[in-house]
Formats: sequence, C-alpha cells, structure tokens
Amino acid sequence: MNTSADLVHALLFVADSPVPAENLARALSLTEGQVDQAIEILAERLEREGPIQLVRLAGGFQLSTKPAYAEVVASFLKPQRQRLSRSLMEVLAVVAYRQPITGAEIDEVRGVQSDHSVRALMERRLIREVGRRSTPGRPILYGTTEQFLHQFNMDRLEQLPEVVAALDSTDGERDNLAALVRQPDRSRVSPNP
Amino acid sequence: MAPRQTLLERSDRVHGALGVVAPPPIHIETPTFQGSLATLFLFVKDHRVDLMDVPLTPVCEAYFTYLLANADANLDEAAAALAALAYLLERKAFMLLPVPEEDIELEEPFVLPDPSVQEFGLAMEVLRAWQEEREGIFFRSSEAGPNPYELPYRLKDVKASDLSLAFARLLHRAEDELDRPTGKARRSLTEMMKEVLIAVCHEWRTVEELVRERLTRTEAVYWFLALLELVRLGQVVVQLHQDEVRFARA
Repeated sequence: MNTSADLVHALLFVADSPVPAENLARALSLTEGQVDQAIEILAERLEREGPIQLVRLAGGFQLSTKPAYAEVVASFLKPQRQRLSRSLMEVLAVVAYRQPITGAEIDEVRGVQSDHSVRALMERRLIREVGRRSTPGRPILYGTTEQFLHQFNMDRLEQLPEVVAALDSTDGERDNLAALVRQPDRSRVSPNP
Repeated sequence: MAPRQTLLERSDRVHGALGVVAPPPIHIETPTFQGSLATLFLFVKDHRVDLMDVPLTPVCEAYFTYLLANADANLDEAAAALAALAYLLERKAFMLLPVPEEDIELEEPFVLPDPSVQEFGLAMEVLRAWQEEREGIFFRSSEAGPNPYELPYRLKDVKASDLSLAFARLLHRAEDELDRPTGKARRSLTEMMKEVLIAVCHEWRTVEELVRERLTRTEAVYWFLALLELVRLGQVVVQLHQDEVRFARA
C-alpha cells in the first residue's frame, strides 16, 4: 500500500520546479498537516540513503542530488558556470534588500547608473517589475523573483541576512552573520525547520 | 535498423521540439556524424553528440542542396529544417564564444567603491556563498547549457498549445512577403517589444484585438516573439478565457 510519503515522492519526482505544500495537498486530497508529515518522513528516508535529497526552495519542495554527488553530476552535465559580475551582484543585493525599489533609488544607493545591470538581471529573470510607484512619472518598481530564490538556494526572502546588523554590528554579530556563509544545507528539509 | 516504433517516437520528439512540423529527411555526411538533420538536432539537444566535433559547413550545404533540389518543397517542412539548422548554428556559435574575463575577477574579494553600498558587502558575500552552495546540487532539467536550471514559466492554465493556436491565428491573418525587399531596415526584437508593450493594455485582449494593422508573415513572427519575451520578463500576463488566450499588462 502506498503511504503519503510515497505519493509525495512520486509527485516531486515528476515535478520540474518547486512544488508548494498546498499544491501537494490539493493533488493528493490531503491536509497540509498530512503533507508536512509526509514530507518529514520522505526527507528522513532520502537523507538516510541514496543520492537524492529533498530540498525546500523558492517556496516549495523539490528533489535534487546530494552535494556529495556534485562532482560526478557536473562532469556528466558539464554545466557552464555563469556567475554574476560584481556590478550585477551589487544591483541584485540592493534590489533584494530594498524591494520594491525604483531604478533611480538603485542609482542613488550605488552612485552610478544601473540601467544596464537592471536589464541584465531582468533578462536572467532574477528581478522583475512588481508595480509602479504613485509618484510623478510613476516610476517602475523592481523586486526579486522565484528564480532568484532558487538560484541563491533560498526558500523565502526572510532568509536574507540582516544588513543593518552587518553595518552596525559588533564582532560577535558579524561572526554570527559570517556563520551563515558556512552553514551547510540551510534549505534542506529537516524534521524541525 | 531501428524498430519502427523507435523511429516514430524520435519523429514525435523532433516534431514536438521544433513546434509544428518535423523537418524533411536531409542526409548529412560529416567525418564525425552521419545521419539526418533531424537526428543531429535531437542528439545535440539531448547532449548525445558534442557539437564542437561536428563541422557545420556540410550541414549547411546539405540544407541548401535540399532547397535547390526541391523547388516545390513543403514550406513548413523547409522552415522546420531551417529552424533545426539555426538552432545548431546558434548553439555552436555560443560554444565558441570566449568565457568573459569578468567571471574570473569574481574569485577576488569584493571591493565596494561607494560607502552607501558598503552595507551590502557582507550580504553579497553571503549570496555568493549560497549561490556556490546551490551549484553543488542538481535538479531534473533537460538543459545543461549556460543556465543549467531555469524555473519553468508559470502560466497557470495556459498551455504551450494554447499559445501555439494564437500564433497560428496571427499567421493566418498575416500577408505574404513582398517579392522584393523594401529597403526598410528590419526592426530589432527590442524595438518590437516596445511596440507590443504599447499595444498591450490593462484590459484582457486576444491577439486579434491587439494586432490591428496588417503584418507580413515575418512581422507576425517577430511580433509574437516580442510578446512571448514580454511574458517571460513578467511585463505581460496571459490567461485562458473560453479556450482563447488573452493578454494584458502585468
């Protein structure tokens, strides 16, 4: 007999993007609580053995290979690493923390024109237009996308480290923030998230 | 010889990948690949053939030979062959591009010139570390190209076939190409996107309602491509209403 964990496993196997818990619940006619429980069981089962893990990314759940298999998978797929340039990363960070933000405000923070970077980030679907500000000229407001969360291994924007703390922080606080950099598998599903 | 079922399945995959019609059986003879254009397309797409090892001159010659020898060729089939050839050329051109030096610079620590950006310095380091962490895990994806994993577009209940029908209706209304070039410079996709964005308003409209002027088939293709790119960028949204796709400003 198929358990709920098996059913969730089957759906996540065929999904090509993160699946929110409510979508799983709807598809399986389960409550979200039952889905959470099934996900916990499945995550533990996958964690124990095999090359696949369950991750929580961009507001949903998805199956991925475990980091231990990165080298062999990369040698098979031969992905071309496409890192963001310094200026793109700068604009992306400004948008991520100050969203919704206008182009002029991005320029103000950086002290240089950012039009090109904004366009490049939109091309990569890392930021998008999220509306217009009700001020003269109705400037476009930018915000980050699900693709941003996915590419930067985040489940939700609240996981961004606190920048104010970084600015005025003590050494201890900075160490805590720096620990975020080293913390492995933040987004992997754990029994007690 | 491959079983008939396998051949049929392959045909379906090429058919689906190229849109409407499978390309005609154009035979290609190169030192590293022998077979049809459709098979080469499929193998390259599935990463079963390294395109860097396949010279494309014989492939282009085979296509031109086909065109010259089949003056009454089916236009849709010829277009599918051209699409396959264009895919191969674009893919190889991209593979031949040098890796930007900027990426190498990224290994250096961040130095932020402006004090107002300084507060984001550590956050940027965190993001960079998370991106590296993310690159160590892989998901189901058919592509391993420059962007190995991109989230599929969320179009709710709108399927590719619905968009395809809208495109077909637009093409049906389009006029044949002029026999001679007009000398008028062709608009870039960016220019076309600006034009399409002006046409799309906050009310939901079908393609027929959006395109009032008379377009040639080429212009119709450009117009629809621009519309799809705007959907991809999130500037235009799409919905299904009584089996018909409608578009509006996001």
